[in-house]
Amino acid sequence: MYRLLTGTIVTLTMAMVLSTSPALATAGINSAEKKIVLQISDGSPKKQTLVLNVAKNLIKHYGIDNVKVEIVAFGPGLRLLFKDNVNSSRVQSLSTYGVQFSACQNTTRAMTKILGYKPELNEAAVPVKAGVARIIELTEKGYTLVRP
Amino acid sequence: MYVLKKNALALACAILMGGVVITAQAANWTMLQGTEPAGNAPRIKVWGFIQPLYEKDTSKKNKYVGTPGNNFEMVAPKLLGPNFETQEGFNIRRARLGARGTGLPLDSNVNYFFLAEFGNNILTHDVGSAVRLTDASITLNHIPGARVRMGVFKVPTFEEGYQAIHVFDYINFTDVAQQMMMERYPNKQWTPNRNNTPGFANTDGDNETPFNGFNKPVGAFRDTGIQIFDSFMFGSWDTSYAAMYGNGNGVNLGDNDKNKDIYLYLSTEWVFGGKGPRRQGWKFFVWGQDGKRTLYNPNTPRAGGPGTDNEPGGRQEYNRKRYGIGTKFNNGLFRVTTEYLKGKGMIFLGPDNPTFTQTAPNGAGGCVAGNTDLPCPLLADGRDGESAGYYIDLGWYIPKTSWELDVRYDFYDRLTDAEKLAGPCAFNFEFKTLTVGTNYHLNKKSRITVNAAKRNYEAVECPDAGPGGNPNNNLEGVDMRYSVQLTHIF
Repeated sequence: MYRLLTGTIVTLTMAMVLSTSPALATAGINSAEKKIVLQISDGSPKKQTLVLNVAKNLIKHYGIDNVKVEIVAFGPGLRLLFKDNVNSSRVQSLSTYGVQFSACQNTTRAMTKILGYKPELNEAAVPVKAGVARIIELTEKGYTLVRP
Repeated sequence: MYVLKKNALALACAILMGGVVITAQAANWTMLQGTEPAGNAPRIKVWGFIQPLYEKDTSKKNKYVGTPGNNFEMVAPKLLGPNFETQEGFNIRRARLGARGTGLPLDSNVNYFFLAEFGNNILTHDVGSAVRLTDASITLNHIPGARVRMGVFKVPTFEEGYQAIHVFDYINFTDVAQQMMMERYPNKQWTPNRNNTPGFANTDGDNETPFNGFNKPVGAFRDTGIQIFDSFMFGSWDTSYAAMYGNGNGVNLGDNDKNKDIYLYLSTEWVFGGKGPRRQGWKFFVWGQDGKRTLYNPNTPRAGGPGTDNEPGGRQEYNRKRYGIGTKFNNGLFRVTTEYLKGKGMIFLGPDNPTFTQTAPNGAGGCVAGNTDLPCPLLADGRDGESAGYYIDLGWYIPKTSWELDVRYDFYDRLTDAEKLAGPCAFNFEFKTLTVGTNYHLNKKSRITVNAAKRNYEAVECPDAGPGGNPNNNLEGVDMRYSVQLTHIF
């Protein structure tokens, strides 16, 4: 229920925010002014909430067309992108607003060995070969790394 | 923008109206206590709470004490439990430390819950251990719609007992909860752990009024067993079920007889918002439990001794049934809770003898203290008795303040089927209590609770208080009880 309510609230709130944002004046212009990569490598439940809140707030602050946000999950942080994670509806909701969720395949393989089966990931998760390498790649492209 | 709006609304509608059955995440007592958030729970979360308490009871002594049939200056409701030695003082009512989580955080299919009591209450006082394990369970979430929990934990039961005690809005339970639902476990031989002769030395060597003949911890609405349960969302409705099979022996962990208890619970809640213990919604629930208890009567010993099975003889079994229905409404501003509960068998009659009967005073009719059958005249018999009770609770969370105002009326009708067994009257008692209180929330984890309880207790089919033996002589002076409690959750 929490997941449902949160997803609904986030979606509707963002819809309202975006409908009144000055950033919409530039809607249609796809050149993002700000590029941020958020790292989650910690299994803490609070970190999961925090990184999603930061992504939401960045979009709210800059406007959907003026910011690119990518969340890279690796290590214990990959749990955020598990299909049954309590935050899965928030993840899906944010992905509809352009936030990319990158899932480290190295971590997925390691977890598969531990679990004995491959963990199911959120449909919004995009596999990347290595989480850290993806962060380096993004920073070289001008992204700012933030570790909430 | 139009597209964005359309997408947002479409997504919201898809979630709300898609008709998809989504498993609820920790959204009610069954789920809150038995599961952890998937993909989110830590390996171990250490937690607990402390509840220091100050209480003052203004009840008066039995003014006829010393005359025939009036042996005690004070009965239990006039003294502060669990010690029953004073009418005013401080206590550490609860101090609990626990841990919960999922041992392997990658696998949300298995989680655990552990909690122990260090405070001074009827789980720990004079029952053999100052620390009591109250919860130790493992939940398996592999089967959709049928989670499995095994161990010792709170049984699915009435709201007052089922809720987490550290978010309980009052300090003391209602009488129907404290007497009918809070199970006591006598020793097998029915012998008193304390002699109930006035002036007789208690086990601790003093000469105080003897009470509380039980030598095992109370049930604390818990049992050891296995439970199948789950919770489902249908739109805004959160519907849960639980079915449990347990020892029927409270937190005593092991079993004391071959009988098992069955517990059933069903609830549905229209969820308004929020999460966790203080989620807002309107809940309806129904529950029941059924079991048997074994007692051994020392007055009918087994011929030739206990025998190879070590049974002393006089084995008797009694049904213990409890069931009820209720509703709770909480919209974040107002709270209304009401429950009706009924019990059949093993009705607790107060900490007099360590049994569920009341006998004539020591010496009367050849009675020996602690014996419950002949030659002691039996005045009341809760072993097959029936009781019922209800309460209504109202709460108001004063907007833009940290204050909460509470008022509760509770009624317990004990031994509704009482018949005159011996003595002057039937032992049908009515317990009526009006409690007013407030909670001041210092922060999300800390609060101060103040309660004042006006109690009116009466043996309804007995004469009014006066000369001669009469339960109303003991109950006449029951009066106000004031309580102040701090709660800090960590």
